[in-house]
Amino acid sequence: CGRISLSASTVRLGAPITASCTISQNCSQLYLEPQIIRWKLGTEIQPGARQWQWPDGTQESIITLPHFNYTQAFLSCCLQWGSNLQILDQAELRAGYPPAIPRNLSCFMDLMTSSLTCQWEPGPETHLPTNFTLKSFKSRGNCQTQEDAIMGCVPEDTHSYCSIPRKHLLLYQSMGIWVQAENALGTSVSPQLCLDPMDVVKLEPPTLWALDSSPKGAPPQPGCLQLHWEPWKPSHFIDQKCELRHQPQLEEDNWTLVAPLPSMTVQYELCGLLPATVYVLQMRCTRWPLPGHWSAWSPSLERRTTER
Amino acid sequence: PGPASSLPQGFLLKCSEQVRKIQADTSMLQEELCATHKLCHPEELLLLGHSLGIPRAPLSSCSSQALQLPGCLSQLHSGLLLYRGLLQALAGISPASAPALDKLQLDVADFATTIWHQMEDLGQAPAVQPTQSTMPALTSAFQRRAGSVLVASHLQSFLELTYRVLRYLAQP
Repeated sequence: CGRISLSASTVRLGAPITASCTISQNCSQLYLEPQIIRWKLGTEIQPGARQWQWPDGTQESIITLPHFNYTQAFLSCCLQWGSNLQILDQAELRAGYPPAIPRNLSCFMDLMTSSLTCQWEPGPETHLPTNFTLKSFKSRGNCQTQEDAIMGCVPEDTHSYCSIPRKHLLLYQSMGIWVQAENALGTSVSPQLCLDPMDVVKLEPPTLWALDSSPKGAPPQPGCLQLHWEPWKPSHFIDQKCELRHQPQLEEDNWTLVAPLPSMTVQYELCGLLPATVYVLQMRCTRWPLPGHWSAWSPSLERRTTER
Repeated sequence: PGPASSLPQGFLLKCSEQVRKIQADTSMLQEELCATHKLCHPEELLLLGHSLGIPRAPLSSCSSQALQLPGCLSQLHSGLLLYRGLLQALAGISPASAPALDKLQLDVADFATTIWHQMEDLGQAPAVQPTQSTMPALTSAFQRRAGSVLVASHLQSFLELTYRVLRYLAQP
């Protein structure tokens, strides 16, 4: 009976939208008095439509909404019939912004899931359904040439991260990675990263213990602590370096750093501490000499040094 | 200059890490096979191994007495392809072992790619990658499990030798 057609169903916020409504001749004959096509945006009648009749009896009305400032609304084409309006057709209008360039793309290799997880900042709200896809390809060297494309990784719902499964990865070869954002108003892509998955491996913190006696079984020296640590078990195959930080328990953010330290040691004597004082100690490790991310600091170990 | 001054330090470090990673994967598979199927000692399966024709990968060009780098890299690559093929032939041994087997296959394939790319960078890679040699026919579930134990054991020996070669190649 009536049919709306739009210049565009999605526009930038504040942009104009033009719509036309055509009422077929056989529908027109249902109404005896002269038919005035009315437009409603949501529940509000919209002024300013122009209407005319075609030689074949078809009625047409055109309206331009100069500044469409709703992110979503329904535009209805209606006919006055008796005391109320008859809705003949309805179109959904949407407005928003094209996607901004996704920023701060970073990735880390998760040894537990053996997947490469990348995260990014999506940018300001677009008010429109916007699809993000993490795209990547296998390459060599500095990713100037694309060897094999890898299947796009589509994040769940509104997440700004995605994990590429192990079977799509070559852990020790370069891959180019970027994020594409797309909605009805356009597409944008982030700058491309070029990395070997294992070069962004993220380790869990090592486990740090305090021992009660020195190697020869003697009690620890005053102002010394006997320590032992082990790297995170799934990372045993990775050469690493570690660092230790300590501070008296009662102090705030006054860490002393001991670095570099090996990733494994049977026993380590830490001296130069205040006697009869409770110390807080933490440790972290990173892949080394090959590149990698530092782990988080280990949970605090609290230990009291012996009296003088 | 050392025996392999043409090899980048980063390549040797990566390879050593990949060997240790595969060794850890293989140990997990061996532990899984032992725990699930009580197949814990490859020496109990030598006769079966001969009859099934489960091959070992040679590393004769990598011996420190007569090391030829091109031949050694080529044997490393071929050996890794052989073990990847053997591991693929063992697919389906049991749901419990499948994750460890999949992980192992991927890591072995990764290491083969690392070696192949280095051979290409050195201009020592043949025009076409060597094709997969024929795999032993493992017709029963037991043969696949026993085959897994033997392949894992052979692979560990191959990796141990590879690790020594890498350490030798890394000497200044």
